[in-house]
Amino acid sequence: MAKKSGSVMVVGAGVAGMQASLDLANSDYNVYLVDKSPTIGGMMSRLPCIGFRGVECQRNMSADNGAAPRSEDSFPTNDCAMCMFSHRLNDVGGHKNINVITTSEIRNIEGELGNFDVTLVDYSDDEKESKVQVGSVILSSGSQTFDPSALDFLGYQYPNVVTGEEFERLINESEPGTGRLMRPSDKQEPKKIAWMQCVGSRDINRGGNGYCSSVCCLYAIKEVSLVKERMGADLDCAVFNMDIRTFGKDYEKFYNNVRCQDGVRFMKARIHTISEDPETGDLNVRYMDEAGTVLDETFSMVVLSTGLEIPKASVELANRLGIELNHYNFVKTDPFQPVQSSRPGIYICGLFQGPKDIPESVTEASAAACLAGTDIVESRGDDLEKVEFPEEIDVSGQEPRIGVFVCNCGVNIGGVVDVNSVQEYASTLPNVVFTDSNLFTCSDETRDRIKEMIIEHKLNRVVVASCTLENRGEMFMETLASCGLNKYLLEMANIRNQAAWVHANAPDMATQKAKDIVRMSVARAANLNPLQEKIIPVSKHALIIGGGIAGMNAALSLGKQGFDVVLLEKDAQLGGFARKLHHTIEGKDIRAYVEELVSEVNANDKIQVMTEARIIGSKGFQGNFVTQVAVGSGDDMHNIEHGVTIVATGASEYQPKEFLYGEDERVLTQVELSDRLEEKGASDIESVVMIQCVGSRNEEHENCSRICCQSAVKNAIHIKKLNPDARVYVLYRDIRTYGLLEDYYTEARRRGVIFIRFDRETPPELKKTSEGLVVKIKDPVLQRELEISTDLVTLSAGVVANDTAEISRIMKLDRDSEGFFTEAHIKLRPVDMLNEGIFVCGTAHGPKLISESIAQAQAAASRATTFLAKDVIRLSAVTAKVDTDHCVKCLTCVRSCPFDVPVFNEEENCIEISETLCQGCGICASVCPRQTIQLSFYEDNQVTCKIDALLAG
Amino acid sequence: MAEEAIKLGGKKKSIFMDKVKELLPEGGNLNLCLTCGACSSGCPATGLEGMDPRKFLRMAALGMDEEITSTPWVWMCTMCQRCIYVCPMKIDIPQLVYSARASWPREERPKGILGSCDMALRNESRSAMGASPDDFRFVVEDVLEQYQEEQPEFADMEAPIDKEGAEFFLNQNSREPVTEPDEMVPLWKVLHLAGVDWTYGSKGWGGENYCMFLADDDAWETLARTTINHADDLGCKTYLNTE
Repeated sequence: MAKKSGSVMVVGAGVAGMQASLDLANSDYNVYLVDKSPTIGGMMSRLPCIGFRGVECQRNMSADNGAAPRSEDSFPTNDCAMCMFSHRLNDVGGHKNINVITTSEIRNIEGELGNFDVTLVDYSDDEKESKVQVGSVILSSGSQTFDPSALDFLGYQYPNVVTGEEFERLINESEPGTGRLMRPSDKQEPKKIAWMQCVGSRDINRGGNGYCSSVCCLYAIKEVSLVKERMGADLDCAVFNMDIRTFGKDYEKFYNNVRCQDGVRFMKARIHTISEDPETGDLNVRYMDEAGTVLDETFSMVVLSTGLEIPKASVELANRLGIELNHYNFVKTDPFQPVQSSRPGIYICGLFQGPKDIPESVTEASAAACLAGTDIVESRGDDLEKVEFPEEIDVSGQEPRIGVFVCNCGVNIGGVVDVNSVQEYASTLPNVVFTDSNLFTCSDETRDRIKEMIIEHKLNRVVVASCTLENRGEMFMETLASCGLNKYLLEMANIRNQAAWVHANAPDMATQKAKDIVRMSVARAANLNPLQEKIIPVSKHALIIGGGIAGMNAALSLGKQGFDVVLLEKDAQLGGFARKLHHTIEGKDIRAYVEELVSEVNANDKIQVMTEARIIGSKGFQGNFVTQVAVGSGDDMHNIEHGVTIVATGASEYQPKEFLYGEDERVLTQVELSDRLEEKGASDIESVVMIQCVGSRNEEHENCSRICCQSAVKNAIHIKKLNPDARVYVLYRDIRTYGLLEDYYTEARRRGVIFIRFDRETPPELKKTSEGLVVKIKDPVLQRELEISTDLVTLSAGVVANDTAEISRIMKLDRDSEGFFTEAHIKLRPVDMLNEGIFVCGTAHGPKLISESIAQAQAAASRATTFLAKDVIRLSAVTAKVDTDHCVKCLTCVRSCPFDVPVFNEEENCIEISETLCQGCGICASVCPRQTIQLSFYEDNQVTCKIDALLAG
Repeated sequence: MAEEAIKLGGKKKSIFMDKVKELLPEGGNLNLCLTCGACSSGCPATGLEGMDPRKFLRMAALGMDEEITSTPWVWMCTMCQRCIYVCPMKIDIPQLVYSARASWPREERPKGILGSCDMALRNESRSAMGASPDDFRFVVEDVLEQYQEEQPEFADMEAPIDKEGAEFFLNQNSREPVTEPDEMVPLWKVLHLAGVDWTYGSKGWGGENYCMFLADDDAWETLARTTINHADDLGCKTYLNTE
């Protein structure tokens, strides 16, 4: 058999395709990233905000700055995750192992896993065909938004009725500076806006898509939040919905924050017809409230929350490639193999796999990268071009020769700031020997030009006046290094945020301020010194904590990638919580699957399993951890060296205190009901009442537990299958059978299950009477009390994190208030933890389905592989250094560091700050009362010189 | 006034809605209601008799058979189908309403509809206004003659009755021949100018079918069959229902 290729093809360059490409490229596979459009970024690059400011942006900040505490109530930043995303666009565009192929499509794929021949067609080049050899393929071609024109009753023909995507563009294009929104018909500010949910989703009639699109509830809430922020309390926002599905991690908190604002209403109604008042352009909406009253309301604008669907081109592609699709044209997958298509060697992620939000897309992308890489692991690194950096130029003793590159950033800066005048001004500043201005300084072409200019003008310091070091620093640093200049001789002047954005209405002032900022940066550049980065070897072993479905999948995935794994399990046997479950909602046998996994793990000689294991201690840093583990009850101690850690400690079912649970044996949890149905069937059951949100969405546990609605639907269908005459009542607040799970909700109703909604304020009551259990609830449709006598009451108990207080303390792992481990970024880095080299998967991260846990486990293995595939890690040279001669050992730094890095060395009698552990946040340097701590690259004089330069202006 | 709680649970009983489901393809999706209320906000009968389509369906689903088979609201429904047009679950509420009508004792159904149906059953015109085949023929011929004379450009216009082998068989709402005969003419003119080969029938010409609105299936069938059989007998290829 021919030797396998070391390359992977990724089809579709949206957020998922980019993540898959980066994982593979950083794991030393060569990547061809193909997209039919002329640019990369997909749907995400068309959105002004990926959602969920507040919670998300605070996380974003903590990821960037390492700041520890955060408040969930305020909106501390006007930035959004777009910066992180655009950073990623640059990472992809500039990655030496990623070949971006735009305006092209796959015509055909011949051959088999390991040796695929892909035929590409390039639409920008007269449909020229070309062939590429790859070992595996990832399809991430995304989805399109539903076209509402076919639903004639929704009034999409009227100018002031727009889709969600169009609305976000309107927000984006809204009046510069004030940011106030104008409606399309007359450019007036809307006073009242209505959102219509489920347009083209959950509709088997005219819409045709029976599934839930999974994202529209959150995006509508995000839009309300954005527009309320701009327009204030006077704007009235009404969201017409059937169920609000904020099932993702922390989404419920975001929903609650928006819901309680003045002038925001969430109404349980779908609208029959939207009509226009031709005089005013306003829209008349008649709806029925839950109490059955018909109300007429006039809105200035209506936003249709259109769902997602698979484009025809993707269906045709799947047909050409021989990949099976389901009845909604999403790729058919097995719940236990969530990213595998029907054709070996071809994987699937993102929206083509099923409707989902960004975190799940990104997670699946990493999972697909893991499997696509595993297929060709023996050829890893074979297809890469070696890039050597030239030897570093010694600039010591040289007078500063500064080059200043002023960026227009398209119209982002150039539309406000007079860039030419800033450039002219820069040329007058001390030590500046060269200036330039560019449309996009971060483009490949401009960076090549910067290289040329560095060499031609013998520049030894570079100032880029554009955005921030956090955004683009790494990229420009690489530009410096590629022509032999130490990368720390770079300074960036943030004239985009600080001048163009905040002074958008005052261009003269913005230009003057940009000059001030550039003057400050030029002063700082002259004071920069070359810094050397620490290079540390990587221990090519992984430690996985938790031997449930997630942990075992992560272990197997890493074993197949060729790395040694130690798998720790606190119990006597592997399997975790899944051992208590029976079947997935699709009918797959969970216990058989667990047994299969256990024997596969035991048979894999790369994986060492330690059961009854307890973590006693842990130290070290990315690439070089040492963890102390006690096994069994005795003193069997192990010191495990590992380069990465995967946390998969799982979760459990909440043990209810409500509804007579534990007092009456007829009250069960959903997990117990499954057991009961397996053991005794349902022939003796006349009626069952299920109560949702027990232990979720309340004061104690604010978040939604995500999986309980499907658990209830699964058991309800099971009962009806066993005994069609049994009556099943599900009392719920919002049914959250997201994505393709909606089909099961429909099936449950079809089988006669009755669903009754209640509010948080008016929960059902359970009473024990002489005739049995009676549940009282008010039916919202009839506005009448129901009394349901029942044999069984089943509580849909939420998901609670396992007790990981000790592990998180020992390993310094961040958890949220509910005890779930915190990811580095809720949307774009859902598997990484804040500590480098540590990853999280499964229910330890938050409630999720088995299929989602498996995907996240494979994703964690992929993320871990990006570390383990390397022999060394280069650490940032931005670290704190103590002047021990002048330090008085007051311990202020020890107390202030959020990462516990500074320690007092009793033997040496001095403060030590590990260069390897230091995150470079600078808190110690700023709090040190004697100013004996300096942060490299931000030394005191490198900061104060900027102030001097500012005042000198 | 506080209403008594609705008692649910216990052993499964056969309910009215289950019987209706058996009659309909896919059970009319009657189980699938998401309680979104789109039907009710577009229904012209919403609020009458304290009822609306969603409430009606909910009562049916909860087995409140007495209420749904006795509410006079079912007779206020116009069978316009606006509910099913937008229903995301394509629930056949009109058929549920129809079945509820059919459950009423015939003599208790609304007098106007009942009387119109009974009138149509009286003779082979199947006219709710009781016009006989001879009356119809007289009126049509009389009006046609008048127009042929008064409007020479329509001198050749025809309004045939029982023309064998005509392409189209048309029916006619009996309000026009009985009360507003002139209103029949515009359609004749259109057909004439279009050169259409058509005919009325002496039997089954009455287009309105109150027996359908009465939910009297047998009578409805009698009316429909009279028309169709006559069209067949004449050898017409297409039956044009003008109602």
